[in-house]
Amino acid sequence: MRTVLIVDDEPDVIAYLGAVLEAAGFAVHAADSTEQGLKLAEQVRPDLICLDIMMPKESGLSLYTKLRADQKLADIPVVIISGIQTEQEFDFQALVKDSSIPPPEAFFEKPINVAEFENAIKRLVPQPRART
Amino acid sequence: MSSSAKKKTPGLEEWMYHSLFQQVPFNVAIIDRDYNIVSANDNFTEYFGQWRGRKCYKVYKNLDQPCLGCNARLTFEDAQPRLSDESGVDQHGKEAHYVVHIAPLRKRKGATVKYIIEMSRDIVETKNWQMEYQLLFERVPCYITVIDRNYKIIRANEAFRKNFGDVIGRRCFEVYKKRKTKCPNCPASRTFRDGQVHRSQQVGIKKGGEQAHYVLTTSPLGRQADQIAHVIEMSTDISDVKKLEKEVLEAERLGAVGQTVAGLAHSIKNILMGLEGGMYIMGRGLEVNDRDKLDQGWEMLERNFNKTTSLVRDFLSFAKGRMPELEMVNPNRLVEEIIGLYQAIAADVGVALKADLNPRAHSVPLDPKGIHTCLTNLVSNAIDACEMSDNKHGEVCISTTDKKGVLSFIVSDNGTGMDSEIKGKVFTTFFTTKGGKGTGLGLLTTRKIVKEHGGRISVSSKPSEGTRFRIAFPKSRLNALYKEEKSK
Repeated sequence: MRTVLIVDDEPDVIAYLGAVLEAAGFAVHAADSTEQGLKLAEQVRPDLICLDIMMPKESGLSLYTKLRADQKLADIPVVIISGIQTEQEFDFQALVKDSSIPPPEAFFEKPINVAEFENAIKRLVPQPRART
Repeated sequence: MSSSAKKKTPGLEEWMYHSLFQQVPFNVAIIDRDYNIVSANDNFTEYFGQWRGRKCYKVYKNLDQPCLGCNARLTFEDAQPRLSDESGVDQHGKEAHYVVHIAPLRKRKGATVKYIIEMSRDIVETKNWQMEYQLLFERVPCYITVIDRNYKIIRANEAFRKNFGDVIGRRCFEVYKKRKTKCPNCPASRTFRDGQVHRSQQVGIKKGGEQAHYVLTTSPLGRQADQIAHVIEMSTDISDVKKLEKEVLEAERLGAVGQTVAGLAHSIKNILMGLEGGMYIMGRGLEVNDRDKLDQGWEMLERNFNKTTSLVRDFLSFAKGRMPELEMVNPNRLVEEIIGLYQAIAADVGVALKADLNPRAHSVPLDPKGIHTCLTNLVSNAIDACEMSDNKHGEVCISTTDKKGVLSFIVSDNGTGMDSEIKGKVFTTFFTTKGGKGTGLGLLTTRKIVKEHGGRISVSSKPSEGTRFRIAFPKSRLNALYKEEKSK
């Protein structure tokens, strides 16, 4: 089964995204902090990571940078889901201020458009299981 | 000299005359009625060159006929001495400026004036100084006026005239500030009184009606305090600097508004995400007939609806610019209320809530609702910090102290504590360490209420050890605010 890791400090977001992704045929793992997120990413090595930016203690961008720097994890597609910017004005380089870090595979502004989110997932992780 | 040397011994009078004629620090010439120079001293020869057999107008001014309005002619006619400023040429052909004193030479009073004596002194250097001074006075890029003891302006430079109009003879306070009476704390009057330089920042009104901010320096024109007839007022216009200061403040204010709006938008997006999530999960529950999903979705809707209420309430309380409504309250009573309110909530999550009250506390003017909000925010934060910590013996203590005229409420906990980075952000709009649970406005609102009371809030914290918030109110300020409120 294809797996996804959701990293968000907000339990309702985990529940919502989890429900959408389960319906799309993913096994869902969730972490409410970047620290736990990195641990799970190493353990599970998911097919996709959904990542929030604004989190207490350590931001999602910091985890993103660590993921991209880790050879074992660098090729996992990452979808950033945040309320920090609109989809139109999303400027990854302006956020990380480091041109050597490649941008995420997709960005969604909270609250998400479910249909577009599902399409992006299909594109990023081909041949998921059919809906249950 | 050679003709006088031939004489045997000159008389004292003749010797004195000769000595005076030569050594007097003037250019001296004797002139007859036909404008011939008949004698001149060495200073004259040195300044104007060869004079023997030449007319005075030729020597002085290189003219071929007598000067227009010649003062010498007048003295030949009326035997009156005269003083005048003249311009001519020196022996090198360079322009010369000199003061000339003309006096008649006659044997007795009433006799015809056959000769006159002209004593002149070079003033080229003085003229240059005058011109430099004049240029400096007129062109210096600040306002300069000279006022007399009646505060009347007797001189004003170009910059001043340009900005304040024709002002000579008018009083400085009329011109600078459009006032009818002397300004309070007038620095010029202090300079008249003590002879010292004084400086102050002032706001005046220019002739066009616009405000002028300037730094004024008053300086005495005179050596001793009781002899000062005039004061010089020099002002540097700082209107542009003030304008820039205002623009910076405005930009900061707009920046803060932008930050607040962005923070608010972020919080609303999170709540919307929760609400949509709730609807989605309920929809899935209905679709697959799953009661658990229905319950989960409904709970999410409820939770996010409550969050909306908290956010709106907190934001309104933060945005509201109200003055504290003060009444005499015993600070201990406020703490007891909070303890009563939070005891059970704290116990539910295994946190002990305690009070350490100052037994000698007296009633002071406070806004009970405002302080209640502050203590509620601090205590609920402290309980959350204990709940999130690994410490199983979580404890929150509220204490009151009254030291050196300062009333303090202290809320301390042994919870998670904060590192310096988080500590630096706690008073930032919408900053929260509680994820979706907090609105990020509690501490900001607390600080606002404390400031409205004339007090201050401080925090000390160590990661894993705990946090201590102190809100302190100088009682003198509380009493002053209370008096002010009562007088309205």
